[in-house]
Amino acid sequence: MRRTLTLTAALAATLALSLAQAKDITVWVIDGTSERPYFLQLEKAFNAANASKGITAKVTPIPNINDALKAGFLSKKLPDVIMLDGPNMANYVWSGQLTPLNSYLDKAMLSDLLPAIRAQGTYSPDGKMYSVSPYDSTVLLWGNKKYLKAAGVRIPKNVNDAWTLTEFQDALSKLSKVKGVTWPLDLKLNYSGEWLSFGFAPLLQSCGADLINRKTWQATGTLNSPASVKILTTLQDWKNKKWIVPQSGGDNRFYGDKTAALAWVGNWMWRDHKAGLKDDLVLIPAPKFCGNKQVSPNGGWSWAIPASSSNKADAGTFINFAMSTRQVAQYADITGYIPARKSATPLSKVYGKGGEGELMAEQAATIAVVRPVYPAYPVISKSFGDAVLNILNGANVKSELDKAAAAIDKDIAANKGYPPFGK
Amino acid sequence: MQSQSPQVLVAKSKGKSKDKRQSLSEELLLLLPATVLLVGFLIVPFVMAIYLSFTDQRLIPNPVPTGLVGFQNYVQILTDPEFWQAFRNTAYFALLVVPFQCGISLLVAVFLNSNFPLRSFFRSMAILPLMTPMTVVIVIWSAFYRIPDGLFNNLIKAFGASTYVDWLGSAAWAMPAIVLLSAWATFPFQMLLYLAGLQDIPSERYEAARIDGANGWQQFWYITFPGLRNTNILVLITTTIGAFKLFTQVDILTRGGPIGSTNTLVRYMIQQGYSSQLVGYGSAMAVIFVIIVGALAIFQRVLVKNE
Repeated sequence: MRRTLTLTAALAATLALSLAQAKDITVWVIDGTSERPYFLQLEKAFNAANASKGITAKVTPIPNINDALKAGFLSKKLPDVIMLDGPNMANYVWSGQLTPLNSYLDKAMLSDLLPAIRAQGTYSPDGKMYSVSPYDSTVLLWGNKKYLKAAGVRIPKNVNDAWTLTEFQDALSKLSKVKGVTWPLDLKLNYSGEWLSFGFAPLLQSCGADLINRKTWQATGTLNSPASVKILTTLQDWKNKKWIVPQSGGDNRFYGDKTAALAWVGNWMWRDHKAGLKDDLVLIPAPKFCGNKQVSPNGGWSWAIPASSSNKADAGTFINFAMSTRQVAQYADITGYIPARKSATPLSKVYGKGGEGELMAEQAATIAVVRPVYPAYPVISKSFGDAVLNILNGANVKSELDKAAAAIDKDIAANKGYPPFGK
Repeated sequence: MQSQSPQVLVAKSKGKSKDKRQSLSEELLLLLPATVLLVGFLIVPFVMAIYLSFTDQRLIPNPVPTGLVGFQNYVQILTDPEFWQAFRNTAYFALLVVPFQCGISLLVAVFLNSNFPLRSFFRSMAILPLMTPMTVVIVIWSAFYRIPDGLFNNLIKAFGASTYVDWLGSAAWAMPAIVLLSAWATFPFQMLLYLAGLQDIPSERYEAARIDGANGWQQFWYITFPGLRNTNILVLITTTIGAFKLFTQVDILTRGGPIGSTNTLVRYMIQQGYSSQLVGYGSAMAVIFVIIVGALAIFQRVLVKNE
């Protein structure tokens, strides 16, 4: 009797001990159809590789993750690892929500990252890295070969021989007359939020303007400069000519009912476009909107560790695993995004030499401009996005840009210039 | 047996007062849950909103400390063109939707109150929209408004139109389109109120009117409508308040566009307070919103006196 008791006690003690040792890291990731299979795979692979060390990860896709993160920061109930949209990092760091990753991350991995991805994750006041993205993204034109041939326009093959603005407009004009085409260009106006600044800032940037002056951190004079007004007036003109799929046109005009001939959108539409158009799908580099200059946006959702996590070392282990060459290549092949590590690109079927996505990798390496890494970014993005939508709906270009610039500068002033920025 | 001794009387009266005290404490106990909920979820948040409206509080605490700013938020709101646009849009929506929705629900209620075969079947059919979640209604209706080939565009094509209307994408049509959807989605609530009101009108009045030779329209105008007086006041006030809370439809369908033409007070408030993280500014707007809606309810109440 006594023996059994001791035995049970010993058993219970071991059980308690092993329970205490088994560390569960909780991970919040974005909830996307193309990403879900990747995350399932990641969780399984990580747990298989780390079970012997007693570390397991629970990966949960979170719908509306931006809102969930805000709520989590407020209630101090955040997991050990989160995914956040790259350009929001500076705002989170500024309000003290994130842990610097430098001491947890693998040095070899850091030096292998694409420069623009490193730039996206680095906070300039302390030069530390707070977020790291497994992938890069880009925006280019996707075309329907059948319509382009019917219109008789040249199809550019690489970044250097991209369309000039005149050529692009000529193509739109010709395409609008092709049978079956209702609108020559789909700008994805059905999207909201970050797309509007992600997709349309390159127009300003290739014309010498920007969302904000990156030295003085003031929007007035840069966002509403004559160059911005000019290119966005051109865009409005296309809308008036009914060349652009309207906002209520829905998502699938280009690859579904094929009433649009071209689409200006990022690589996340890869699968849908491929499935809808098959061999008719052709990738066209970002046009030279002003003179000889072209720009594409970059970056995306990144791994980060909340300051509130009590398990930072293991969180670091998880991020290093997710950023391993193999995992990064898997992310690219499963979701269609560009690998963020140079050494992962050759492993990827899509982005390696001769792969179908080579042009996207080329854009990411040559013409990508990182979004302003600045705490006011959420306001910058929203104000510019609203302005773009209003301009496309017929509002006065100059006054919309003035309004957006004023709103951004007002926010910066309200936060006393986001110290230590501007010091 | 019949006469009671004084002692018994005293004991009885004592028992009575004890009963009273007991029932009072029981009543208080019964009131407790409702009071806790009301104080916790209505009064405390509102008092907090009033306090926050005088500060520059941000949603997520940050290195710049929160400070008291006096009436600055209120001054800013009253000179904010976007706030006034949202106010005009909301008033416009209410102006369109309230008579339209009340009319439809009264019409359907009168119809469902009359005698016809399969009446209960139609009655349950009529409240279906109310049981469908608003988000689902919106998904269905966005297909109706789709361009170039949604239901409504096919309809106008059938009537000979040669082009399509971008219902949700044009500043002129977006709000009427939202009105139609909203009226359809929520009219059963008013209809139920009217149905209850109709059943309160004594049938003798109609009998008497018929004997006097009144036709259907006269019966409606001289008996039904006056008989619904109190119901009308209730429906009018609840519908107007409901209209001022317009949010889900415009947030999902038009995101306040085009060019802010469907942005409403509640949507603008949430955008400022949550998306832009300006809790102080959003709170001030919430206080103004409560004042507007409260004033409207009182105004309507005075205008159509309750009997």
